[in-house]
Amino acid sequence: MMCERVREQLPECLAGKLDKAERERVIGHLESCSACRNELAELGIVWRGLESMAVPEPNRAMRTRFIEMMEAYQAGMEQAPPKRAEPPAETSRRRWLAWWPSQPAWQIAIASALLIAGVVAGRYEAGAPKEMSPEMAQLKGQVEGLRQLVALSLLQAQSPSDRLRGVSFSSQIARPDADVEQSLLRAVNHDPNVNVRLSAVDAIEKYAGDPAVRRVLVDSVAVQDSPLVQCALIDLLVEVNDRDSAPALRKLAQDGQVDEVVRQRATLAMHKLEVTK
Amino acid sequence: MQAVRSGEVGKLELLFDRHHRGLFHYFLHVTSNSAVSEDLVQEVFFRILKYRHTYQTGTAVRPWMYQIGRNALIDHVGRNKGEVALPEGAAEIGSPEAPPDRQAQNNQEAALLKRALRAMPREKREVIVMSRFLELKYEEIATVLNCEVGTVKVRVHRALRELGDRFFALRGERAS
Repeated sequence: MMCERVREQLPECLAGKLDKAERERVIGHLESCSACRNELAELGIVWRGLESMAVPEPNRAMRTRFIEMMEAYQAGMEQAPPKRAEPPAETSRRRWLAWWPSQPAWQIAIASALLIAGVVAGRYEAGAPKEMSPEMAQLKGQVEGLRQLVALSLLQAQSPSDRLRGVSFSSQIARPDADVEQSLLRAVNHDPNVNVRLSAVDAIEKYAGDPAVRRVLVDSVAVQDSPLVQCALIDLLVEVNDRDSAPALRKLAQDGQVDEVVRQRATLAMHKLEVTK
Repeated sequence: MQAVRSGEVGKLELLFDRHHRGLFHYFLHVTSNSAVSEDLVQEVFFRILKYRHTYQTGTAVRPWMYQIGRNALIDHVGRNKGEVALPEGAAEIGSPEAPPDRQAQNNQEAALLKRALRAMPREKREVIVMSRFLELKYEEIATVLNCEVGTVKVRVHRALRELGDRFFALRGERAS
């Protein structure tokens, strides 16, 4: 047996992963080869030494963050257009808690708005005409404005989890808003966290009817450092059937410096856009 | 994972409980930064949620998960353009049952080994981590690295050999 082949099996031998026949062949070779015996002795010292390098346990707060992230994600999914079956009561309750902002100022503002909404809605139901009263319209506008402010505030937060919630919160805003649109585009282009960028790509879809927004998204594909975000942007451009993006996608598909998966996705996107012409 | 893929995303909690520790150790050994490693673990589970439809039914979850983890790590390294050194004291070294003099020697040797590991290129460090600390099978490592099992054998041996050379050089037993 060649020394080289035996030496490649030494780590498996040390880990006890060789089957009986292989182990016997290795041992047979070691009995007659002092160089390979020395190699085994040295690798054995390193292998056993690595065992003594214990590492710290992960922080328990990690689990809390995970649960928070999952709830934010579930809440975002439930806001998505294709509605699914009603979630269980407990999940629904936790989803609402996930939306509730952590800053007391926002909590007070939203609580006040809800109180006024209750009073006005009561009066409205009691005998107001069927058309929306000016008070009601004004109140709806105020609540919508509050939602925008909360979304904008969260999108500028330090914590990625808060920004993720800000992105999800922005999906609740019924009326497109220029400030929210700009914040989402900033998140797509500049947020240091890939998760936030991916969520922002999903959330910006409702603004993608605007050609100017689509241009920013097309430009963004080339400058993203994460292939996942690049693929999400390409998928979005196909989703909104942005045929003007074809030249940029072609350039991307032909760029040897770009990740192979992204190039394949860009090629596929070009074909899809061609088919829908 | 099959349930998560089918839309029961709550089941991801089970996968988190089972795998977050291994993923954290993988990231910690490669990045040497606890905070970054915790963020990367979160990122892996977020990506699993988002890209759960890419999981192929019937295939092993662990290699798929570490493949996602490796991509997240590559994204992180790309963004930060550099590798962070193992902080001193990041690892508790030595067996508490060993006698004091033996423990002192163990500590010294483990510190040298840690320095040697820290000096290794990321690609080599990660095959050592996968085979030694995570105890992934070679077939699983091959899936994660997208290469042949034979290539994994060669890479693990070479990485361990290089780690040994660096370690013995630090002990003054070999020219560096």
